[in-house]
Parts: sequence; structure tokens; C-alpha cells
Amino acid sequence: MLNEQTDEQLLALALKGNEDAFTALYRRRQGPVYRFALHMSASSQVAEEVTQEVFLFLLQRGRDFDPARGALAAYLFGVARNYVRRAMEKSYSESAVTTPAEEDDPALVTEIDPLENIARNQTSKAVWKAVLSLPEHYREVVVLCDLQELSYADAAVALGCALGTIRSRLHRAHEMLVRKLQRTAPALSGFSGDAARCLS
Amino acid sequence: MKCREFMFAAESLTLSQLSLMRNEDAAISEHARECAACGRWLESQTLLDNAMQALRASTARREASPQVEHAVLEVFRATGFASQEAVEPESAAPAAWRLSHLFEYGAYAAVAAALILAVFLGSRLLHDRQMSQHKIQARTGAAPQTIKATTTKTAGTVTSAEELSSARAVKVLRVHERDGYSSTVTGRSDSSAIDSDEYDALMLCDPLICSGDEQVIRMELPANTSTGGSGQPVTADVVVGDDGLVRAMRIVR
Repeated sequence: MLNEQTDEQLLALALKGNEDAFTALYRRRQGPVYRFALHMSASSQVAEEVTQEVFLFLLQRGRDFDPARGALAAYLFGVARNYVRRAMEKSYSESAVTTPAEEDDPALVTEIDPLENIARNQTSKAVWKAVLSLPEHYREVVVLCDLQELSYADAAVALGCALGTIRSRLHRAHEMLVRKLQRTAPALSGFSGDAARCLS
Repeated sequence: MKCREFMFAAESLTLSQLSLMRNEDAAISEHARECAACGRWLESQTLLDNAMQALRASTARREASPQVEHAVLEVFRATGFASQEAVEPESAAPAAWRLSHLFEYGAYAAVAAALILAVFLGSRLLHDRQMSQHKIQARTGAAPQTIKATTTKTAGTVTSAEELSSARAVKVLRVHERDGYSSTVTGRSDSSAIDSDEYDALMLCDPLICSGDEQVIRMELPANTSTGGSGQPVTADVVVGDDGLVRAMRIVR
């Protein structure tokens, strides 16, 4: 029953004191929020803190959410983004997050062919490292659009900027990622050669 | 398709959409085959998409620990929903929300400021208008009293400046009192302001001599002086120059 409700309906019920609705909303949205924070910070500790803060914020300020301005998911990502920034400013230097932590490695293990698994893990780590080395405003759009698969419009709501800004940042971020991967991991997944855009 | 069109189309797509279109969109795939640079670029984007998919898949199962859920639900149970407004960080809201709130509050402030300004200007305008009315009343209101006081000897009535037929600005200067009739004296700053169509000139005056201010005196003349026995007094406006000579006159009633 509650699973068929939209996020906004669940939030409305939760704010009226319906614990089941809040639990359903939490379970539906905590994963993406956690992964967003994880991809941004490469730290499961930060990701957990941010997830908790985001939902506490929703309890405190949920009435301020206006569905006319965007989806609740985008709103949550926007809140999460601010908490990630705070957390990283507070206790993690940029150098600390340029490499995915070893503690995150077990999750990269899958049940497929071990060799393929290793290759995929290497690719994942290489691309994650490249993502983490991006400037923050590029990293945000990559994580939201490419990893969280948000639409440009929802990403624009989450980051509070124009659709065109999201598009251009993403395009630029992709070019930077390709260059980084060509430099750092040319053997991985065939990243080699010149991939400069043609403007003729 | 040209390279620019190809890039324009590609930029509007996400990585996964672009990988999809590579196989499904004939124009894109054809251009990628024809143009080596665009082909290489599209290939790099596809590889990037594959790498992103790998990263996405590797972290797809990651989520917050049950302790987080437990902590959040504890807070939910402890939260009184009626007293939520006083709590903390507005600054964690997405920038768009904060900005929209700012604009909203700004709009309210602007409307309030406009209302205050309108009330202030309105009151100033009203005050100025009242002040000017007071001034006029002070000028016009004093005259009838004086006139009444000075016309005890006469049988006629005295009119105030506002009752004079002219719509132009008229100042009551003083009251002349003569035997047998009363008069209200008004002045005009400009001698040319006298409407010569209504007045009958009583003397021809040299412009060098008659260039000074003139006064209009409303007089009530005894009936026998002008009408010869109708019994009603006659009201007349008389234009008198500074030299005391009558320039013109008209019968009002």
C-alpha cells in the first residue's frame, strides 16, 4: 500500500506522524542518498553521516519542501550535497578522498567471472579515482547524472543552477574524465588515443 | 549530418543515452563512421559510459547501515511535529530553495516598502493639501469677519472672495467702508487679468500711469442710486487702481 505512494505523498503522511510512511520513504531514498555521498566523498563514514543528517533535516524542515519546485529525490540530493560539503570541509581534506578507501573494496566484489570481476573492479576504481579528482562542481554533476542517473532537470533542481549549466558542466567533466583515464589508465577498457572533439 | 550538428546532438544526451543512440540513431552512427575524429570521440564517450556503469554496478548495493535507520526512526518517534519550526539548519536546503525563499522574502519586503512609501507620500500630500487649504481659509476666513465687523453701518451683505465671479486667485486685501454701501476689496497682481469683456471701462488710462496693481471691489449700491426705485440693492464689481481712480465696473446683480 505505502509502496505505491509517491515520495511526496509519503512525506506528507510522515509529517502527520505516520511512522510507516516515513520508514517507507527512508528505505526508498536512503540508498541513493548514501551512494551519492559515497561517490562524492569516497568515505562510507561520511556517507552514513550524511544520510542520517539528510533524513533528520527532512523531519525538521520537511514542511518547507514544495513539490511544485521539483521532485523530492532532487531535493534530498540537494540537501545531501550541502551536508557532503560540510563534512568534507570539516574533517576530510581533498587529498584524503582522491582515492576510494580500501574499506569500500568488498562491495566491489561480485559473483561473476573472477577475471572479469578484477577487470571491472580495476575499471571502477580507476574511474572513481578520476571522478574524485574532478573539481567539486564537475564531480557533482557527474555523480548526479551519470552515477545516480538523474535527469538534467532534476540535477539542476538539486544543484540550484540552470539546465544549460548542468549540460555544459557535464560535457566538460566528461572531457576531463576521458583525458584523466587516458593518462592514468590507458590500458583499462580501451582508453587510449586522441578523443578530442571535432569542430569542423 | 555535420560535425557541429553531431556534437550539438551528442551534448544534449546523457552518457547512457549517447551509447544507446550510437546503435539506434542512423545519422549519429553514420557520421561517426564518416568522421574519424567524431568517431573517436563517440568511442571515448561509450568507454566512459561503460566505466561509469561498472562503477555504478560496483556500488549499487551500498546503502546506509541499519544503525542509521534506527537512529533516524528514534528521532522520528521523539519528534513533536507541532514544534518543528524552531529547529536548525536552513542552510542545508538546496540553493534553489534558499534562493527562492530569499526572493520570496525580498518580494514581501519590497511590497511592504512600497506600501509604507505610498502611505508616507499620501500623508505628505494630504498634509500639504490641508496646509494649503488652511492658508486659503486663513486668508479668506479672516476677511468676512472683518467685513462683518465693518459693515454694521450698512444694510447690505458682504461676500467673500470665493463668491466672486472670477475663478482666478483672488486675495482679499482690505475692506473699504463708505456711507451707504459696503464693499469687499480684492486684489489682482496682474492688471491684464481683468476680463475686459465683462467690465465696462470708465476711463481711458495712460499705460504708463495705469500699470500698477488694481483692486476689484465688490459693492452693494443702494437701489435708488442705479435702478431708480426697484427697491433691490445692486451688487457691482468696481476695478480701482492704486491711484484710487475707478478703471472699470460691472454689474453683478
